[in-house]
Amino acid sequence: MSGRSLGALTLATTLLLAAPPGRAADPEPSKAAPKGESWTLDSSNWQDGKDVLPESVVKRLQAGDYWFNVVSVDATRFHHNYSQAFWDATDKNAGKYDLDAKTCGLKDKATGKIPDFVFGLPFPTIDKSDAQAGCKIAWNFTMAGAMGGGGGATFTLNGVDTSGQFRRIKAFIHSRGFQGRHFGPLAEDNPEHLAGEGLSGAIEPQDVEGVSQLTKRYWDWESQDAIWAYVPSTRRARRVNAASRSDPVAGLDIFADDLNCYAGKVEYYQWKLIGEQEILAPLLQPYPFPMRSVSPTRQLIDTPYMPAGYEVPNRRGVPWWIQDHLVFVKRPVWVVEGQSSDPYYNFGKVIMYFDKEMYRIYWKLVHNRGGEYFYTAMCGYHFVKNDETFSAVFPNLVVGVNDKTNRAALGGRFQSSFLEQHWDPSYFSLRTITHMTD
Amino acid sequence: MSRAVMTARGTLVLVGVLVSLAGYLWVAEVGRRTPLRASAPVEPAPLLAVPPAAVARVEVEEGTVHLVAIRRGGGWSDAEGRPWPRDAVADLLESLGTIRPVMTVDPDPTDPADYGFGPDAVRIRLLAPDGRPLLALDVGERNPAWTGLYARRTGSREVMLVGALLHWELEKLQAKAPEP
Repeated sequence: MSGRSLGALTLATTLLLAAPPGRAADPEPSKAAPKGESWTLDSSNWQDGKDVLPESVVKRLQAGDYWFNVVSVDATRFHHNYSQAFWDATDKNAGKYDLDAKTCGLKDKATGKIPDFVFGLPFPTIDKSDAQAGCKIAWNFTMAGAMGGGGGATFTLNGVDTSGQFRRIKAFIHSRGFQGRHFGPLAEDNPEHLAGEGLSGAIEPQDVEGVSQLTKRYWDWESQDAIWAYVPSTRRARRVNAASRSDPVAGLDIFADDLNCYAGKVEYYQWKLIGEQEILAPLLQPYPFPMRSVSPTRQLIDTPYMPAGYEVPNRRGVPWWIQDHLVFVKRPVWVVEGQSSDPYYNFGKVIMYFDKEMYRIYWKLVHNRGGEYFYTAMCGYHFVKNDETFSAVFPNLVVGVNDKTNRAALGGRFQSSFLEQHWDPSYFSLRTITHMTD
Repeated sequence: MSRAVMTARGTLVLVGVLVSLAGYLWVAEVGRRTPLRASAPVEPAPLLAVPPAAVARVEVEEGTVHLVAIRRGGGWSDAEGRPWPRDAVADLLESLGTIRPVMTVDPDPTDPADYGFGPDAVRIRLLAPDGRPLLALDVGERNPAWTGLYARRTGSREVMLVGALLHWELEKLQAKAPEP
């Protein structure tokens, strides 16, 4: 596994996970989804899916490769998957922010500069006729994902083809976010003026153990992410280009930019709102999981494993299709195009489906720079919340499918994750990644 | 027991043979080599070889649907003067300016309908302000993996594969066509 590709996963998580400072609420029993209407969408009724799934997915639905356990949700309760604190802050953000015309960077209207700290959706209302609507949607996505603050998980990457799994990598990812988190800015200094930072490393198999990466994302409009990759055999950490997020991770059909379906800085892409529709959103469960405190600064979240077809007998569909613990909820989405102007970035036009309320990307379709479509990523999530003071949304699944090679990769599917409010100040450093295998 | 003896004359003969062989190699092999030069990879031209700003009229025909966009002032309107939404036409032109043929699939197909070049094919015509055609393209079916579309320049039999981004842009254009 290349260090840079694994490590590039890190930063996105940085801006996702959160730590409730010193006020971990007592866990409540998990509330099961209310018994509502649920039905199966498969090849026998594929027509019901043609308006709520991307075309490339409908094709596989029709062929029997995929099937969907569709559940209905209570819209109000789903809205409250995010804390009331988050929604109150979102309301207060109305009219407060603008965009830098040149870079699409977030701007505080009062100062004309990048804001010191943002919490909640910066743009509570999106005007479809606004030429900058796409960029505003991307900022809402970024800040919704950042509400958690910081944490980590150990996860697997599985390369799967039509005959089954051909490669498995176990890795971990840790992150800390400075922007977008509940309870305001961190008490720790932020001398590098970061939006977030992250660290990732491979654990298995042995030949990639210790390959690791450090990523720092600057809170400004112009800077590229600073990424360092470390390979134990060379005992050197070297700086890699931020565009490596579009390189395949460890030769698998998955990319660092697949985390949350987009893992770059908002400023990296040109964004364009194309339309709106409904889509089937992949979720571990429709409503939040509880968290439990294991230390004054750390909370754990237990989640069920999502077995794929290659792992179970009598599977339905292709070997990479998730068989259990995955539901699909019909959600209203913005359809947005994104395109990087970086000549080293491998993707051409990317089409993404953003939840109009929760601002998660559920699906993305990727063209290469020559205009060939080649890849669809399905991005699944789960929510975490104990009370109305704190919530977080975790990316827990990526199913990346290369339709050109008819292969796929699964990322995530962790059974345990954590939120951390107080990392050792020296943890996110070159010293950590270069001494991981000592 | 005999003893091999190398004489001066024998040595001279061997040296002569060696010089002759070296000379032959120099003249026959090394001398024929052309110097190595780095050559840039040859990339096929994009479907639209002129800047999008040079296009004054766009026509897209699919079955009974006939879309027209005429550049007027700073925007686009249809044949009846109804405006096209912002970016709808510009996106298509921009993509046509970046999409390049991926490969030639069939230089001379026996039955072009196999590739979708029947009555239902999409026909794209782009015209300059003076009416000169800038691009005339027939667009057929998607390839089996849906990564691309079969296309051919109008009047040519050669079938190309072009990126499926063109399909996305055509769908966008049709969805955003001015309401009659």
